[in-house]
Amino acid sequence: MNLVLFGHLWRSQRTKLVIVCVAMLAWSSFLPVIYKSFGSQMKALVDSGIIPKQLTNFGGADVFSLPGAIAVGYIHPIAIILTSIFAIGFSASAIAGERQRGTLEVLLARPISRRRVYVTLLAATLFFIGLILLAAILGTLLGSAIVGVGGELVVERLPLLWINGMLLWGSIAAIGLAASVSFDRLTPALGVTLAIVVVSYFVYVLASLWPDAKGLEPYSIFHYLASRDILNGIVDAAGLLLLAAVGAIAIVMALVVFPRRDLAAPS
Amino acid sequence: MDALTTTGLTKRYGHRELPVHRPGASRGGSEVRALEDLSIAVHEGEIFGFLGPNGAGKSTTIRLLLGYLHPTAGSASVLGLDVVRDSVAIRSRVGYLPGGIALYDSLSGERLLDYLGELTGRPSVRRAELLERLELSARTLRRPVRDYSRGMRQKIGIIQALQHDPELAILDEPTEGLDPLMQRAFYAILDDLKAAGRTIFFSSHVLSEVERVCDRVAIVRRGRLVALEDVTSLLEHRKRNVELRAADGDLPKLDGVAGVSGLGRTVDGRLTCQLEGDVGPFLAAIAGHRISDLTIEPAHLEEAFLELYEDAEPEDDDLPALAAAGGAGVAQ
Repeated sequence: MNLVLFGHLWRSQRTKLVIVCVAMLAWSSFLPVIYKSFGSQMKALVDSGIIPKQLTNFGGADVFSLPGAIAVGYIHPIAIILTSIFAIGFSASAIAGERQRGTLEVLLARPISRRRVYVTLLAATLFFIGLILLAAILGTLLGSAIVGVGGELVVERLPLLWINGMLLWGSIAAIGLAASVSFDRLTPALGVTLAIVVVSYFVYVLASLWPDAKGLEPYSIFHYLASRDILNGIVDAAGLLLLAAVGAIAIVMALVVFPRRDLAAPS
Repeated sequence: MDALTTTGLTKRYGHRELPVHRPGASRGGSEVRALEDLSIAVHEGEIFGFLGPNGAGKSTTIRLLLGYLHPTAGSASVLGLDVVRDSVAIRSRVGYLPGGIALYDSLSGERLLDYLGELTGRPSVRRAELLERLELSARTLRRPVRDYSRGMRQKIGIIQALQHDPELAILDEPTEGLDPLMQRAFYAILDDLKAAGRTIFFSSHVLSEVERVCDRVAIVRRGRLVALEDVTSLLEHRKRNVELRAADGDLPKLDGVAGVSGLGRTVDGRLTCQLEGDVGPFLAAIAGHRISDLTIEPAHLEEAFLELYEDAEPEDDDLPALAAAGGAGVAQ
């Protein structure tokens, strides 16, 4: 890793990162409030049959329990978009964006190998995502404390929840970086990464709401974000390993492709 | 010792990996030959001009030397290091100015130079001097790069390439965007670097500029080396254009004078000819005549190349590009 490049990335992203972290903290602190305020009413409505029970399965979670409400928040489009700003936007533009702007020329004119550039970008992306997920965990704790449901949370399980999030979003970031090192322009790199994530998310939502499509759910990467299970003390080690494998494949691919690529003069 | 050598250096792109539109590159089936069998040696301490029209293979060569591209065949070494195996080590000892340089717009000029200097890992010992000579003030450096003019960006590009006092500077079209005064300041910087023993590999499509600063020059066309010459000897052997007028109309007889050829007379009575080599016999022949006006036009590199390579096969459309860029064609 190159600390000078890491420092440059930190300085260039820190304002955006602070905004995203604050937004994530606010959103995740809101989830215990929803559970406290509407959880029992929602359960009564569902039990009465007015709302189809299947609709409450969004994201494999519910708002009738605190773990379920937290899990809904973590898989909700708001959380997805906030995390994607760095997991997709930053990663996909990291190399392809610099290449398109022409600034990769001056960076690679320095005595840094392409592998080192990649590893530094990967470390920076994971660091940024780690902070965003940390903000989510802190928000959850804060919200739970404010509405007085903190006692329903097993705090010791939160680090594993963070690791689960890191494995999911780290894998997505690794896919974004692999796309970024493979293209000369930002649009295809961003397009490929977004397509993978959007299709995966669509499959997950569809499978969670439509019983006939339930069998598709394991094919979505979001299936392996098991927030509710982890908060309830159930750990799917195979799921975590699968996420790690996806990320590792993307990292190996990038480490093979990037140093071997011909980088012609920017057009 | 040579600072840079290439031996049969070749770069071909397959059909599926065409990088950019390359007007001068040769096509062979589905393959594009961006550079073909280039063998040159740049001596330590010289300013070496690398000349050719757009798309001739200049940037491809530079990118091969710095590890941006991988050679299809052949080899190259920079400062004794192999360009494939030792690319990182090479870049720690080389300063590079890319053609049409792009900079980080959100940074100030000062922060950008600091950042690039830190990445290089060597102290920026020449920065203050370069800033002064290229007239970039501290106030200017505090402004974000996005506010800079093209010329100011080019100055920053030159400084980032030279601030750490590299042993070899590879400069791709370095005077692009500089006004004539700054071009002159830049040439003076190159002279000083040469005096300090540094080597400069200078790519350009402007012949007059190469003539001004370079010791030797190589010309590439369609990815092939077509000429490698010492600028001084090239100019020495060039025919100079001479024009003289006699005050009393009695023109000297120059038939048979050594070095004189192409004798002619203009409608207003002036004598014209071409003069090659030693001027002594010519001066002796005109001595004793009342010469009222005498012009010996200095040798220009483009004409020298036109003379040397006038028998070369006329094959492509790159000469107009060269002429339009400020020089004449190099061959045909």
